[in-house]
Amino acid sequence: MALRRITAALAALALAGGPALADETCQSPYLPKLAGQEDYVYVWTLGIEGVGDGSDKLVTVRTNPSSPHYGKVVHSLSVGGRHEAHHAGLTDDRQYLWAGGLDDSRIDIFDVGSDPAQPTLWKTITDFEEETGGVVGPHTFYAIPGRMLISSLSNTKDRGGKTALVEYANDGTYIRTIWMPEGAEYGYDVRVNAHLNRMLTSAFTGHENYMRKLSDLLGDADAMKKFGNTVVVWDFHARKPLQTLDVPGAALEIRWALNPIHEYAFTSTALTSKLWGVFRKPDGSFEAVDLIDIGDPAKVPLPVDISLSADDSTLFVSSFMDGTVRVYDVREPRRPKLIHEEKIGSQVNMVSQSWDGKRIYIASSLLASWDGTSGDDPQFLKAFTWDGKTLTPTFEIDFRKEGLGRPHIMRFGQHGLMARAAVTGDARGRDH
Amino acid sequence: MSHPGRGIACVLLVGSLSVAGIAHEGSPEPPPRARTPGFDAPPPGSYELPPIQRLSPHRLLDERGREAPLLELEPGHLALVSFIYLSCGHACPRTTAVLQGMDRTLAERGLAGRVELVTVSFDPERDTPARMGAHRAALAPRGRWRFLTARDPASIDPVLADFGQDARLLLGPDGEPGPLISHVLKVFLVDSEGAVRNIYSTGFLDPRVILNDLLTLEPVGAAPAPPASAASPS
Repeated sequence: MALRRITAALAALALAGGPALADETCQSPYLPKLAGQEDYVYVWTLGIEGVGDGSDKLVTVRTNPSSPHYGKVVHSLSVGGRHEAHHAGLTDDRQYLWAGGLDDSRIDIFDVGSDPAQPTLWKTITDFEEETGGVVGPHTFYAIPGRMLISSLSNTKDRGGKTALVEYANDGTYIRTIWMPEGAEYGYDVRVNAHLNRMLTSAFTGHENYMRKLSDLLGDADAMKKFGNTVVVWDFHARKPLQTLDVPGAALEIRWALNPIHEYAFTSTALTSKLWGVFRKPDGSFEAVDLIDIGDPAKVPLPVDISLSADDSTLFVSSFMDGTVRVYDVREPRRPKLIHEEKIGSQVNMVSQSWDGKRIYIASSLLASWDGTSGDDPQFLKAFTWDGKTLTPTFEIDFRKEGLGRPHIMRFGQHGLMARAAVTGDARGRDH
Repeated sequence: MSHPGRGIACVLLVGSLSVAGIAHEGSPEPPPRARTPGFDAPPPGSYELPPIQRLSPHRLLDERGREAPLLELEPGHLALVSFIYLSCGHACPRTTAVLQGMDRTLAERGLAGRVELVTVSFDPERDTPARMGAHRAALAPRGRWRFLTARDPASIDPVLADFGQDARLLLGPDGEPGPLISHVLKVFLVDSEGAVRNIYSTGFLDPRVILNDLLTLEPVGAAPAPPASAASPS
């Protein structure tokens, strides 16, 4: 029979509902959470000419310490060509991973549920720009029930920052395009607070900028004006913009607090190097508050990713140009306190943490044309444990030496929740 | 390759950790409390519900064991379709309770004749037509609420695949199928053309939102033209 069978009856509670507040801290609230030990980290990786096959690929890393292959690449699936592989997101049942390319807007959909150890390419969308009416650069892939909500970065008309939100059904069928509102046309991230029926979107820049070398871009005053300065508050159910908040300097990743009584979100601005809070006011509207500088803004550290712990107490911020991760105590969300700062490498980009906050993964690549701006161009995935005070290295993978490319976003997989397991015998006790 | 027994034990440990994570064990904060959603549902007609997916016709078994179409809607009518199994102790009863409230609301609003509730079991081996009928009787619906099951598991699989409703049989410690089926439970709003117009995650199943969605679609029921927002940027 086709009904998939898994062991671990207790895992049903994680899948079947319960509080179902969020996933491993920064995922859509509509995903079942992976709260235990992640068995795999899937790394969506940009190809580098002359490194391995030179193509974008999904790299699977074994991350369960009980495995003899802990900290090793156990699977790599090349999609052929370089498409500026960037972000990826799981569907609402964690069966599929949608992974986008910012250059030609290609979307590869991987089946990561049937065998979490060996993802397969299930479907590829190559007509995103045509189907969506001219949207370019699918960025965040955010699961909503039965659908994938996709924020984007650009458009076919002028390759600038005017862009849209797009929805696809889980089977890859296009549903609709919602252009960003007048005065807040740029896009980047999208995040939903289901308890408040509110959605936040942030704003980066268009294809003409993000495909240029960063060093050239920083010296082009006109180009530097073409970055977003807004965060938009939406009625999520109606998909209607309600408020445009002034958040100058390209707000990137957005993280809602996970506890439903915490009615706020964080974001960071890349160009102005600030941490912002977006707080719900007593009248139900929202305000954006400049909370704190991240490093020295004059040195343009370029904060690029943030990761909030499941208990809303700790916020990790990674900044690209100085290769540094900073950790803030945000239990008082309007008064963040820096509690740890550590240089990880000459450049870092994404930072992801496990649900229990004890394991931290950091990847090095931002964009093909921006990597290496600070000097050398190392490409790595580094794993750490976090005890509340110290990051302790556990393993590191050199993505150049392994012939893989530039590691970007990381998503977690687990046998206990997803494996097509025991009854068929082919996956029982599988250990990679 | 590890020993099979070791593999099972390992996965069970993962399950335990998952539950601990849900309970926020060790968190300095108390577990999040249940609360009334902090928003007003957008008014009917103030938004669009474009078709998400088109369903194929399916035939299942009604409460008397007779073959019956999954959907039998007159033009302009709507259905709320949910999948449950009667041994489910958590999400399914919660979903059914919300739908029971919807049944009463629809009757009070005079919509019961135009909106059908359909509850389908994805555990046909245990959920016989008679058991589904008894379940319906216990709920005493005021409107049209059908309870369907299938002849066998193979008959329900294509239905689940068509809706995109996942379901995984869980094995007990002995490696044999246990009583539980894991699933990300959803409720589907379907129009008379067989188009899914919204999907609700049971974690956020809000009767106010469902009612306004029904009222948004009810005057028409059929799929609208593609939204104008898909046009090129101006």
